[in-house]
Parts: sequence; structure tokens; C-alpha cells
Amino acid sequence: MNERQKHIRNFSIIAHIDHGKSTLADRILEATQTLTKREMEEQVLDNMDLEKERGITIKARAVKLDYTAPDGEKYVLNLIDTPGHVDFNYEVSRSLNACEGALLVVDATQGIEAQTLANAYLAVDANLEIVPVINKIDLPSADIQRCRDEIEDIIGIEAQECPAVSAKTGLNIQSVLDAVVELIPAPEGDENAPLKALLFDSYYDSYLGVVVYVKIIDGSLKVGDKIKMMSADQTYDVVDVGTMEPFGLKSSGELHSGEVGYFAASIKSVGDTRIGDTITLVDNPTSEALPGFKAAQPMVYAGIYPADGSRYGDLRDALEKLKLNDAALTFEPETSIALGFGFRCGFLGLLHMEIIEERLEREFNLDLITTAPSVIYRVKKRNGEDVMVDNPSNYPSPDEIEAAYEPLVKASIITPTEYVGGLMDLCQDRRGIFIDMKYIDTTRVELHYKLPLNEIIYDFFDALKSRSRGYASLDYELDEYNKSDLVKLDFLLNGEQVDALSFIVHEEKAYARARRIAEKLKENIPRQLFEVPIQAAIGSKIIARETVKAMRKDVLAKCYGGDITRKKKLLEKQKEGKKKMRQLGSVQVSPEAFMAVLKLDDND
Amino acid sequence: MTMIDIIKNQKAPRKLGLYIHIPFCRTKCLYCDFCSFVSRDSNEREEYVRALLREIKSRGTKEYLVDTIYFGGGTPSLLNAEQIGRILACVRENFVVCEDVEVTLECNPMISKRDVEDAVPYGDGLDSRDVGDADPYGDGDYFVELRKIGVNRLSIGIQSAIDSELKLIGRRHTFEDAKRTFSIARESGFDNISVDLMFGIPSQTGDSLEISLRRIISLGAEHISIYSLQLEEGTPIYRMRNRYSLADDDTLADMYEAVVSSMKRAGYSHYEISNFAKAGRESRHNSKYWRLDEYLGLGLAAHSDFGGKRIENTKDMGKYLLGECVENELEISQGEREFEFLMLGLRTSRGISKSEFFARFGIDFDEKYGEKVKICEKMGYFLQNDEFVALNERGFEVSNSILAQILDFDY
Repeated sequence: MNERQKHIRNFSIIAHIDHGKSTLADRILEATQTLTKREMEEQVLDNMDLEKERGITIKARAVKLDYTAPDGEKYVLNLIDTPGHVDFNYEVSRSLNACEGALLVVDATQGIEAQTLANAYLAVDANLEIVPVINKIDLPSADIQRCRDEIEDIIGIEAQECPAVSAKTGLNIQSVLDAVVELIPAPEGDENAPLKALLFDSYYDSYLGVVVYVKIIDGSLKVGDKIKMMSADQTYDVVDVGTMEPFGLKSSGELHSGEVGYFAASIKSVGDTRIGDTITLVDNPTSEALPGFKAAQPMVYAGIYPADGSRYGDLRDALEKLKLNDAALTFEPETSIALGFGFRCGFLGLLHMEIIEERLEREFNLDLITTAPSVIYRVKKRNGEDVMVDNPSNYPSPDEIEAAYEPLVKASIITPTEYVGGLMDLCQDRRGIFIDMKYIDTTRVELHYKLPLNEIIYDFFDALKSRSRGYASLDYELDEYNKSDLVKLDFLLNGEQVDALSFIVHEEKAYARARRIAEKLKENIPRQLFEVPIQAAIGSKIIARETVKAMRKDVLAKCYGGDITRKKKLLEKQKEGKKKMRQLGSVQVSPEAFMAVLKLDDND
Repeated sequence: MTMIDIIKNQKAPRKLGLYIHIPFCRTKCLYCDFCSFVSRDSNEREEYVRALLREIKSRGTKEYLVDTIYFGGGTPSLLNAEQIGRILACVRENFVVCEDVEVTLECNPMISKRDVEDAVPYGDGLDSRDVGDADPYGDGDYFVELRKIGVNRLSIGIQSAIDSELKLIGRRHTFEDAKRTFSIARESGFDNISVDLMFGIPSQTGDSLEISLRRIISLGAEHISIYSLQLEEGTPIYRMRNRYSLADDDTLADMYEAVVSSMKRAGYSHYEISNFAKAGRESRHNSKYWRLDEYLGLGLAAHSDFGGKRIENTKDMGKYLLGECVENELEISQGEREFEFLMLGLRTSRGISKSEFFARFGIDFDEKYGEKVKICEKMGYFLQNDEFVALNERGFEVSNSILAQILDFDY
């Protein structure tokens, strides 16, 4: 290995949410004096507003740091940030593949959590050197020794000597940098071999087109090179090559084996860049491609509609823009009788869905109506057909169905022992199948359940948190499809079915859910000029019923002194309000009311 | 020009109503968000009267025949009879006033002497302390004076016959005061009196409303206006709304229905959503608003519908006193007229005439609105025949919702 390569360290920081990953990244940036404290924006790596507010990293980011070790040796550290949430496991794994090591941050007051484990396993799968970092040791409730023991017992990596720091105060940050240099291996790879580079991220930039993040495994990449993306089988001319600095891209003209950087090659859409693809030279190709990643599969689907139907085109443009940087988001047009034109969107999980909704509303100023999230059901029909259903409206009628299957997940829940009973009840209630329970130590337990995905996409996470006072953590991965007694629940307003309210539910739960939603509809549908019966039905069988009484009175304002403008304004206001209303059959419902019905939670 | 042309041009003079705004009150009621100021200074009121006379002179016209004059407020009865007399004289000088003109003056019940400390000397805005021990209350002179100068209709703001309710909405009088005022007005020669009543007052119940209705009906007024209390933003009652027990919409609807049936039993016809009258005693002035007839609003913040325009006077007393009366003049498009015609016409039990609609707008009513009206008719809110379309009593209660569905807002 050449001297240059020996001084490169490529690493990620992985952690359970809120264990201080981003704060540690900030301190590392500061300590390497890549940023002075004054330049320091809080948590530089998370640069979407939403990320800052939620304190999570959504998209991976990478940054190159120049570091001079205490012994005077100069190093290049490439820090590749990863999302912490279970929805984004896929993005974590692709980032990890560009690294040789990972800092596993563990909160000294919390110990190991579900996502700590999940992320650690991903790092192990990627053959990374894992360096535990115990954080938040400045807090009075920090228990460093317990943390070290847990890491050794549960993950099985040595932790007695690992850095224990406070990223918040900056205490012991030097020990983290020492560990990075000493423990994480330099990248291997042959600078003289044909180019072999890993595409690990990309985003759309309005000036450069798609900017591709790569890790050069072998060889070199230069401006002017004609490259080939091996699995996409596309060729491009490289127009810019460089590194990711804390404040933006910096052209360097070339990248060599072991280095992490970017290139631009007039690529029009991130859809053209497959994460995990191998990049090589057209003229001098590598013989073997890297093993590719599995593409992220959406697990949760929902209809997204503009509250104002005339903004359908804006919604489409906005989704297309988001899609430029989010390969996991899928959408296709759908129409609902109740809601008009919209899109059926696929998400990695609920958080992903919420983030997309929020970005659509915030960055594109759209008011949205989102239908209840659904999973993909498999239905075997009597005629032998096998269909996948991601939209309840397309669910076959009961007499066509031979058997129905729903996706299960393997869920791992880590919780303090006192909440085990409540959480087991919760899983039971959500049709969970108990697998096992392991004591992490005397105070904490890891529970394993198989749960139907459709039971956890609503509010499972909130319920979990509220039953454990916020202490339990959750991770899950998709498992198999299981045969299940599923029914489609429909709602009728004034005798007309409202397609957007239909959803698939397990038979046992249909009655309770039907009653709850009927009640909620009653609370939220404003009184109309006529009486509105609300009915919940499975097929043609009505299983719940409510009534919204007819409105009897509105404002009898005085036309005082001939001032009719007040009255006009009142009517115009009423009309404006009506415009925003959604016509569900003959019934008018405000988007807010509609949302309130869809957002049923555990307490309803 | 031939003789025939001349005759053709000599149409009967157009009728005109005058609204005269007197923006002073002794105290501001807790629910009020109309243009009025608390006034304890008689100089201030005199200054206003002078500005008003100037406006009347400047806007005078002989092209119209004035058939109604309406003093609204505020509390017009805070002016003394001499001031009202000067205003009316000025109107007669600058307008052509017809012989049987309806001249209405709004007033509040006289406050009896029991709380002289803040009592209002009726028809004279002087503070009670200024008039010493004189007895300006309730000797009827004021009403006699008003009759002499041509006021022939009174509208008395009684609002409730339950004293505790009156107190809650910041009214200063008791029902005894109202009764006394009413009988003094009668003795003074007023044979056309309207009284105002409210429902939906905090603490009011169906039973207490029944009592109010019975007591007020027993006064024998020619005309009764009944409104539901509106909580307008910015008023004290709005700010305090959470402290009151207020009736919900169903209770209010029950109350409205109780009002309507009591009024009918007592022989009043329900001729407009909020107005009831004995035969032939409908308010001629207010009827102009509902028929899109022309009226000229004079005084601070007064509104006019005049010469095809809606005119809004300034709300700024300083400007008004300087003679800068008009704040806003709006040309009304034909489409907007149509909107107004329906919005206002459907307030009346007569409703709108389809042939009049066609004559005004050249549009076939049934063609344009028939379908929507039919839907509401099926729900039981409309009455119609070939000529008239009107809301029925159920329809009155939800008239805004119905109008919002039927009217064409893209004028």
C-alpha cells in the first residue's frame, strides 16, 4: 500500500436515534479544525431543516476532514454520515459499504437500544471495524461501566478500552480521533488496477446535474474520463471530480484508490444512478463488478392528494423533484371518487412517509390529504390469479378471494424490564406472535415478535413509547407473508361509499375499528342541510352506524343601517370555506376533518 | 322633442330613503361592534350635528322623493329634540320629502331616577350632575317634542324582559324602565312603535325567553325585531365568551322556533327573517334594503345604495368633522346586483319575484338557479311557485348555508 493510502480513514458514525451521533460529528469537525468553532453551524452534516428539527439524519452526507495527529502525521478522514432510523436501514447499509470502519455511539445513560443493535449488525455485515464510543458521560445518570459490559455481552466486541466522551462538552474527543487513526484500517485497493468505484449516494444539483458520491476501490478517476456504470450499462463523460468539504464541493480533478469523493457527468436524474453500482472506465474496464445492493422496496403505501384539487400538477412536480433525490420514493397517479386526482405513493416506512408529507407541505407549500397507510397484500383469487394489492380500493370482493396474505415483520424491542408486561400486551393486541425474550442484563430485556406490518404502520411506535415512558426502542425487518383473515372495511356517507376511507383490516378487529371510525366521522363531519347517515360495511353487511343530524341554525345577522357588506363578507367566507371542503358523495367534509378521521390513534 | 318624448321623460320621481347615523352612546354594550362612541360631552355632539347638517346640504337632491328617514345609531336619543328638529328641517330644505314620510328614531329605554349617578337625562346628553335636581327623566316632554317635529315611529332597544340578562350584556335599563318608556311614548302620541328583542343572551334559557316574549308581546308594539346575539370578534363579550353559558346551535334553533310561533300566535306576521309586524306595520325603511331600493346614508360610517353605487362613509370622526365624509364608492356590477337581489330578497317571506328578476337582470331565474333551488326545496327549505321563490321558516334558520350553495359568487 502506498503512503497516501495509508493515511486515509473512511468511517461512519452509527447510533440509535438521539444517542448523539450528529453532535459527535460536529465535535470531530471542530477537533480536526476543518471548521472553527465560530464557523460551526449546529450539526453541519444535517443540512435539511427537517433533519435539524427532528434531530435525525435523513440522507447520507459525506465530508472530508484533514487531520494532523499529535505525532505530526497528516491524515485524511472521510466521515460518512448515516441515517439512524429503521426506515432508512437501506441507506445506512449503502453508506457503510464505502467505509472501513464505524464508530458505534452508545448513550451512557441509555445503554444499547434496538437501533444500536440493528446498525451494529449492518456494520458487521459490511465487514467494518467497529469502534464503540460511549457518549454523554457528562450526565449524572451516565453508567460507563455498564455500557462497556453491555457492548461486550450483547454485540460481542471489546469495549473496556473504548473512548468515553461527552460530545456535548467536547470531553475526550481526542481519544475518538486517536481510535479512528489507530483502530480503523486504511483502505486497501490497487491504485494501478483498472478503475473500480462504488456509487454510494447521489443527489441532484441544479448546476451540475446529478452529483455522484463514490468510493474509489481500485485505480483513479479523472476529469475527462469516459466512464461506465456497470449494472445500469450507461456511459458518461466525467466533467468534474473532487471532494466533499464541510461547506461544499471542492474540485480536485482526480480521485485515487481508497479516496471518497464526488463526480459529475451531466447525468440528468438520480434515477439513472443505482446505489451500489460499480463504476469503471470504458477503455480499461475492471473485470469484476462489486456485489450490488438490493434496491429499497417500499413497504408502506398511501394516497396523497392535494387539498385543493387544482394543485394536482404542482403535487406531481413536487413529487418528481423529491424523487430526484430519493430513489426509495415511488408514486403513480391514482384517482379517488372522493378526493379526485392524486398519487399512490410508496414509502420505506411511516417516518419516511411523514418526512415526505412534511417536505411537500413545507418546501412546496402544498396542503395535502393523505389516506390511511396500507401495506401490500397478496390475494390468491378463486380464478387462480395472484394479485398484489397496495390500494384498498383494488381489493377483490370477498367472493373472489381464495386466500389473503399479509406481510409480517420481525420486530425487536428493547425495554426496561418494568414495561415488559405492557409491551407484551401491546404486541398481543396487535396480533403479534411471540418468538423469544432475552435479558440483556438485570434491568433490560430484548423482546422478539413477529408482527403484521399493517398493525405497526399506524401508531405502534407511539403506543410503544407511551407504554414505556419513552424508554422502549424498536427495530424491525420485513419477514414473510402469512395467510390471514382479512376484510375490507368500507364507509358510506348518506348511502354513498367513500373510496378514500376504505381500508383492509383483520376480521377480528373490524368491528371495533368500524365503530371508532364511524364515531370519529360523526364528530368531524359538519352538520349539513340534511341528515347524514354514516355506515361502516364489510361487503354489503353494515356493521356500524352513526348519524349526523341536519344543521338547524346559522347566523341571523342584522343588516345594520343598510350595511350589507357584512352580510356579503359572511357569505363569501362561508363560500370560501366550502371551496376547501371535499365533496364526499353528497356530503361536504373539510380536509382537516378527513385527516382527523384517518389519524386514529391508540387513545381513540 | 315631441310632446310624447317629454311625457316619457317625466317619470314619477324615484323614491329615496335616508339613513342618518348618530354614533353616540351613553355606554357601549358588551356585544356591540357597530360604529359608536361613548359620549358625555354635549359640545362634541353639537359639533357632530353641525357636520351632519353640512353633509345633508352637500348631498341634497331634488330628483328624488324621500319617503323614509331613519335615525340609527349609536343612540340617536342622546341628541335633544332641538337637534333632531334641526336635522329634519335641513333634510326638508335640501330634499323633497313626501307627505306621509316614515320617520323612525332608535332609542333606548329611559333610565329611572334610582341610579342618578350614571343615569342619562333623556334626550339630553348632559351628565346628570350638570342638571342638578331637575327631573329630566320620563316626563314625556322629549317624546312629545319628537312627535311635534315629525318623528312618527320609534324603535326601542328593549332586548330582554329579564333584568339579569340585560345586565349580562351591558344594558343599563331594566324591563320596568322599558315598560315605562313604552307607555310614555304611547301617551306622547306614538302609534307606530317597534321594539328589539334578543335571544342567545348568556344565561338565557328557553323558559326565560318565553317570559321575555310574553312580556314584550303584552306591550302591544306594532313591530318587533328579534335577533340572535352575535359574538363579534373584538367585543368584550367575545373576549369573555368562555365565562358565559351560551346556548348551542340546537338550543338557538329551538329558541328561534319558539320566537316565531309566539309571534304568530300574537298576530304578528313574520315578514323577514328577524322581523315581525302587525298588518301594514312593516318597516318601510328597512324594506328598502331588502328590495334593493335606493337609500342615502348620512353621518359617520353610514352606508348608501345610491345612483347605482354603494357608498361607505368614513369611520374616522376627525375626518368627518372636517367634511371628508365619503371613504369608499363602489360601482356595483350587474352580477353583483343579482347576488344582492337574491341575498336580500330571500330574507323576506315574500321572497323574490321571478318576473321582477327577469325584468331587472334579463335572466330566467329557473334556468339559472332552478336546479339548486329544487335540491333545497326537496330538503324542505324552500317554497316556490311559478312567480315567487322564498325560504320557509326552516330555511330562514339556515339561510346562510343555503345562500352559500345557491348564489353565484363569481360576479
